Amino acid sequence: MKDARRWGLFNTSAFRMSMGYTLLVALAVCVTLGSTYLLTQSIIQGDVDLIIDTELRSLENQYVRSGIPGVTQEINLRIDSWGRIGAVYMLAGPKFDRLAGNVTNWPFDGAPAEPWPEFRIESIEPGQRSVHPVRAGVRKLPNGDWLLVGTDMSQDRRYVRTFQIATLWGIGLSILVAAVAGFSFSFRLARRVADVTDTCVRIMSGEQGHRLPVVGTSDEFDALATSVNRVLDRLEEQTRTLRATFDSVAHDLRAPLHRLRTRMDAVLRLPALESGIREPVESALREVDRLQRTLATLLQIALAESGAPLASPTPVDVGELADELVELFEPVARERGLTLTGRADHGVIVEGNRQLLAQLITNLLENALKYVPSGGRIDVAVKRLADRGHLIISDNGPGMPAEERMRAGQPFALVGQRSGLQSSGLGLSLVSAIARLHRARLALESNDPGLRAVVSLPLSEPQASPASLSRSMSA
Amino acid sequence: MHILLIEDDTEAARVLVKELRESGYTVDHAADGREGLSRALAGKFDLIVTDRMLPHIDGLTIIQQLRGARLATPVLVLSALGTVDDRIRGLKAGGDDYLTKPFAFAELLARIEALLRRRPSAAESTVLRVADLEFDLIARKVARAGREIELTSREQKLLEFLMRRAGQVVTRTMLLEGVWDLHFDPQSNLVDVHISRLRQAIDRGAERLLIHTVRGSGYVLKEEED
Repeated sequence: MKDARRWGLFNTSAFRMSMGYTLLVALAVCVTLGSTYLLTQSIIQGDVDLIIDTELRSLENQYVRSGIPGVTQEINLRIDSWGRIGAVYMLAGPKFDRLAGNVTNWPFDGAPAEPWPEFRIESIEPGQRSVHPVRAGVRKLPNGDWLLVGTDMSQDRRYVRTFQIATLWGIGLSILVAAVAGFSFSFRLARRVADVTDTCVRIMSGEQGHRLPVVGTSDEFDALATSVNRVLDRLEEQTRTLRATFDSVAHDLRAPLHRLRTRMDAVLRLPALESGIREPVESALREVDRLQRTLATLLQIALAESGAPLASPTPVDVGELADELVELFEPVARERGLTLTGRADHGVIVEGNRQLLAQLITNLLENALKYVPSGGRIDVAVKRLADRGHLIISDNGPGMPAEERMRAGQPFALVGQRSGLQSSGLGLSLVSAIARLHRARLALESNDPGLRAVVSLPLSEPQASPASLSRSMSA
Repeated sequence: MHILLIEDDTEAARVLVKELRESGYTVDHAADGREGLSRALAGKFDLIVTDRMLPHIDGLTIIQQLRGARLATPVLVLSALGTVDDRIRGLKAGGDDYLTKPFAFAELLARIEALLRRRPSAAESTVLRVADLEFDLIARKVARAGREIELTSREQKLLEFLMRRAGQVVTRTMLLEGVWDLHFDPQSNLVDVHISRLRQAIDRGAERLLIHTVRGSGYVLKEEED
């Protein structure tokens, strides 16, 4: 369950959106910091190159003015603390032998090919030996001598390196912050959506007093919750009104029926009743009873449609119930020359109203008993398929044409013009209302020949709310 | 036996009072909830029959008040509200039986009789006996005149229900409720078919019949025919 819930979070659109934004932030930070880094590096290099170029030109000018001695003097002057920090100079003969400067050997193999060659100088300063990277420029003087001016880059390299580390940290931290913010945002969002779906599931399963939580942050969720709650209040109000209407209709119709029946009953109990009167009164009484039954069925349909009977559902073993009813109906079927068999798996447990489920099976059975001619068979099966329980009542009777099967669930749909059989189709309407109440699917199919009624019921789950939560979240 | 009938429908009440008196009961009538409650609390009645929807105080409140005053008088609730939930609420409030209007007078009479004859379940016997019919409740064995009779468990339950109410009229609805726990009215003649099967098993070849049909009401299991 817990895993399902966590994976559920990854499936939310809020999570996907925040992941997308995290990636976008990461990309933006990378581009900004990366280009700043590259730009800084090239500016530093450009500065160094400009200085080297300027010094080379000034030494060349010195050569033009006062020849090699002038250049040598100038170099020595610059080495002796007049020059810049970290500056490297060398004047070499045509064979690269040293004439002047602060480098002992010509660092290259002959003349370097690239415009800004680099090399390393090892220096021994008090206490430690260090290696300095040097960037240099080389010119050939008109007399064949070689002039080299370079700059110790260790300072700049350190600077660039620090910048590099800072850039990487920056990128990493901003991605982390974006990811954490996004995750907590989507988690909060998912939790509030889960609250909403959870409440909806509870309300649908009959806890009509339930309302969406209003946190008091007056954000869009509170606005949503408030208006959904208003809708729910309205619905509950309507259900209450409907229920009150049923009750008063039931009362107002039953009370006169009751008076009528009581009086007719009293007439029938008169000791000196002529048989010529008894017979019509008895048949009128049967009509009253039929009227009463129709009224009861109608009220039951209306009540089942209102959802009220599932306010306190209990676990019902549909297999056991089907077996009991098959046992109850079997002698009646045999009396009519029919074979009634049951093949029910037990332990197919549904959250619902036992009486209504019994009524559903009874109505389907009585429907079959009514239409299947003598010699036919009726079979009741209950089995478990994945997370649903299937109740299947099939017969090999005349069946029902396709368009009638479609209409059968509607109240007062006259099923068949079979003469002599009084059926207003209310029985099947009640079946479909009870099925809907239990969130079941009712299908009337052709059994080739005959009719097959399949009621597919959602099984009760021990931990209904977390499971439905993760399912609705990943949906 | 003294019965209090609380019913605001005076027309129906008049007929019921008359019929009940003719059946040998002493009947008082209260026309609204307030009067009904005060008379129920004051008088010594063996049974109270009350409508559920009444002016001033409704039937369920009357029962709760009675039970609150530690009066255990059996109460039969009559109601025009006939769904299963209404019924459960009626029984939860402390009612002993629940009958939906309209009902046959015979049904009411049978239920009144059943409530009046109900004894506190002290010293329950483990063997039920009616004439030469014996039902050993522990061994789940039924015998007629010493000869064992094979019955299915549901047939045993049906027989037990009848034997515990030997001599009383038991209606079809009482049997559907008590034996099969079905609180609605199937259209088929289910009970009749099951009774006739039970009758075959119990009474076949016997010289005195035990299961009798009461025309217009139901069945009774007893020793002699009247």
